[in-house]
Amino acid sequence: MRPEHWLHTLPLRLRSLFHRNQVEQDLSEELQYHLEQKTKEYTASGMAPEEARRKARREFGGIEQTKEICRDTRRVSLLETLSQDVRFGLRMLRKSPGFTAVAVLTLALGIGATTAVFSLVSAILLKPLPFPNPDQIVLPELVSPPGVNLGSDYFPWSQTQFRFLAQDSHPFHAVAAFQNDSFNLTGTDVPSFLDGFRVSAEFFPALGISPALGRGFTAEEDRPGHEYEVVLSDRMWREYFGANRAILGKAVRLNGYAYTVVGVMPAGFVFPRAEELPSSFNFPREAQLWVPLAIPEAPKNGPSELAVIARVKPGLTIQQAQAGMDLVTKHAEAKDPQWKGWFNSRVVPLTRQVVGDTERPLQLILAAVGIVLLIACSNIANLLLTRSFGRRREFTLRTALGAGRARLIRQLLTESLLIAVSAGAISILLANAGIYFVKTFGPADLPRLREVTLDLPVFAFALCVSLATGILFGLAPAIGATRENLADSLKEGSQRSGLSPTSPRLRNALLVSQVALALVLVISAGLLTRTFFHLLGANGGFNPDRVLTFQLPLPALKYVDQDHIVVFYQNALGRLRSVPGVQSAGIGETVPMGGEGESTVIRMPDHPAATQKELPFANYTIISPGYLSAVGTPVLRGRDFVEADTADSMPVALVNVAMEKKYWPGQSALGKQVGPGSVRLPLLTIVGVVPDVKHISFREETAPEMYVVYTQRQWPSMLNLRVALRTKADPASMTASVREAIHSIDPDLPLAKVATLTTLVDDSLSQPRFAMLLLASFGVLALLLASTGMYGVISYSVAQRTQEIGIRMALGAERRNVFGMVLSQGARLAGLGIALGLVAALGVTRLMASFLYGVQPADPLTFAIVSLLLVGTALLACYLPARGATRVDPLVALRHE
Amino acid sequence: MSKPSDLVQGTLDLLLLKILALQAMNGYAISLRLKQVSGDVLQVSDGSLYPALHKLEQEGWITAEWKPTENNRRAKFYSLTRLGKKHLEKESANWSRLSAAISNIVKLKEA
Repeated sequence: MRPEHWLHTLPLRLRSLFHRNQVEQDLSEELQYHLEQKTKEYTASGMAPEEARRKARREFGGIEQTKEICRDTRRVSLLETLSQDVRFGLRMLRKSPGFTAVAVLTLALGIGATTAVFSLVSAILLKPLPFPNPDQIVLPELVSPPGVNLGSDYFPWSQTQFRFLAQDSHPFHAVAAFQNDSFNLTGTDVPSFLDGFRVSAEFFPALGISPALGRGFTAEEDRPGHEYEVVLSDRMWREYFGANRAILGKAVRLNGYAYTVVGVMPAGFVFPRAEELPSSFNFPREAQLWVPLAIPEAPKNGPSELAVIARVKPGLTIQQAQAGMDLVTKHAEAKDPQWKGWFNSRVVPLTRQVVGDTERPLQLILAAVGIVLLIACSNIANLLLTRSFGRRREFTLRTALGAGRARLIRQLLTESLLIAVSAGAISILLANAGIYFVKTFGPADLPRLREVTLDLPVFAFALCVSLATGILFGLAPAIGATRENLADSLKEGSQRSGLSPTSPRLRNALLVSQVALALVLVISAGLLTRTFFHLLGANGGFNPDRVLTFQLPLPALKYVDQDHIVVFYQNALGRLRSVPGVQSAGIGETVPMGGEGESTVIRMPDHPAATQKELPFANYTIISPGYLSAVGTPVLRGRDFVEADTADSMPVALVNVAMEKKYWPGQSALGKQVGPGSVRLPLLTIVGVVPDVKHISFREETAPEMYVVYTQRQWPSMLNLRVALRTKADPASMTASVREAIHSIDPDLPLAKVATLTTLVDDSLSQPRFAMLLLASFGVLALLLASTGMYGVISYSVAQRTQEIGIRMALGAERRNVFGMVLSQGARLAGLGIALGLVAALGVTRLMASFLYGVQPADPLTFAIVSLLLVGTALLACYLPARGATRVDPLVALRHE
Repeated sequence: MSKPSDLVQGTLDLLLLKILALQAMNGYAISLRLKQVSGDVLQVSDGSLYPALHKLEQEGWITAEWKPTENNRRAKFYSLTRLGKKHLEKESANWSRLSAAISNIVKLKEA
């Protein structure tokens, strides 16, 4: 049937499928009408009505049988073509199991990989956050005043600022502040360190999630002096309290105080999470409990670490919310001119914040896997072309017997779709494995990684991709194969005439594009691999070998002032240094790769107060003597802190090379003076210069940094310092003895965030490593596919040219000439592909520049190596067919049909 | 009742299409017309008429329309489609060729 024919009858077929009752009724009515007319005819000719009716009935034959036959006719026509196609297709595929297996597996690999990547994209970029109306949740962020560069894009809110906002919050339905805090849970067998948040009363309403058990905080409880209530996370409730439903009203001891449990959050709620929010806040991986923030009515004007979250009133847009915030800024500046320039804010939707900067890497990976899929499809297209070329006779015969060309095309398309759908089914299994791999080995700081799963949108995607690829690689071969001239194909010895002009061109074009695509992919993978190894070997300003780090969260209740804290640390360091196996010990605000520390505006007498524009700033880190040797940071010039640097001796500081270069270019920083921005704090004399130490990743730009000694510290709080120990043996094995040492000084103090520096370094590399592994595996896959494609094309070409080869050999060509001929054919195709690929790669890798480290996008070494690799692979793929060509027996070949 | 054989079915299709080419009509009228035009030689049994009509409709060569008749009833009227016209021409030509070939053989004189 011709295509337009088919289209014409489609409505009818659909109708008989979906409106069967109506169709049946119509049929009855039609036959009834006939009977009545017949009856009338007989009655008119004189018969009695009753008899006429009976006669008419008899003449009709069996009415029910007639109906049945009509029904059969309908059914047959509708399903006939479909099931015929499917059955025939299955038979054809079964006849060549090798081809079918290869095609299905190849496609399954391609679709499986693509589906796995899509599930990532779906969970991270596409799925809405698990809050009601998540688009209405925003994070108002304070930004630095225009023109001022303070080294950070946005700032935490202060308590006074938040109070002001809370009173002036027109565009918002709920405004809440939150701040992270750590809690020592005591009263259980072992003191535990918990990450938690102090949140204002509107926090849970702003998110729209209420506790599964109990309730959130009331405004009453959000006041200083009344804030001893706690909401637990579901995990904490299960792990520490055995999921006891009677937990409400019970008290738990946190940081020495008794907190009443008022609620338990539903499972899976762990907001806020580190990877979803700005890293400058240093939020924990997972929140385990929430307590009221309790900002005083008239808060002191001082620095603070508040983040703000709000829910925009329903019906208002983000732009309107931003306008509302700008209005608040104006009001604030009018009220207190000191705030001028420091109350500018920007409204960021939570969805945007969570996605962060994962969008581009994900797009990269999606593009890479798309390339693999394309290569797989073109492989199968080539296979199909080859196969259908061999079935030319069958097609022309069928055409002669009456099948229209469209029917043949439909037949071939059905076969392709059968392959595609079976590949799609297998691909689900592969995708599942891929998702497992991603969740287990993926970078832990990928937002929403836990939500990655094989759900309905992902299934639908796999189905669509299967169908689309089936049509994609099936259509061209189908059209091409059925275009053959009838007479030529049926003639005897048609094989002898060789290939018709169109076929090899399409096959070769497909192969060349495969090689080009594979080249691009492998080059990208190569660049990422080099990036990763550069990062691995990069010098971060420290030596991570055998260093154990942990945090000591001192409860404010016990360690009320500076002196207490200093005494504690002196004891602790002394005790730790005497633990067998510890080489050196020190404390510090942060450890390398342990996250951002404090930073502050600084003042230097050498550089009198600049304009508001370029306020000098530096990272500000408190350390103890011994810290630098513990983390392996050498002192380049001058000296380290020593025990003699106490509160009574000269205030001293160390700076890093970046700071020296920036503020005292060309000179030595030793002897110069620097201090925190506030004039109330004394100036420090610089006594040593150290190398730049990286805090988050090897890729970061180093900022100026200054170090002060803990005995001379003025600010900030020292309640949460980290300890670094350099050990002789494996650091992880020392944990128990270290814990005992601390325990002997303060039994209620837990060890928090225990990690070796090697682990921290590893974690910082997890994203580049993941990207490298993914792209490398795609690259390998692409190489495999391209080489099997080349093998297929060259073998087929050799088979086609058997007679030509036979003639050549009969005319005197040596075996090695034949070998070279085949190889050069393959080399030519590969060469063309490589050339095209190199051009494409130059353009593509430029887009990747932001992912690279230590290597240029157009790195000649990588390009050269990969090109050689591809040439080698191509030659290898051609080897077997070429060898087969040399085995051709000229006598047999000449007789071959 | 057994299904009509293929040859008879094919010929029946041709007849039905031709009748409808001249005028659109319902099933009953078709059977009357067929009897009339063929001089009572060809009579299609009612039981094979409707399956044939439905098959032609499925193939897209004729299309049906419900028209009201007297007594407030409705009857299904068939008419030829453009595709049906083409098919009719092809089949007519085939039939001519076939019947000519058969006539030639039948007319062969005995040796």
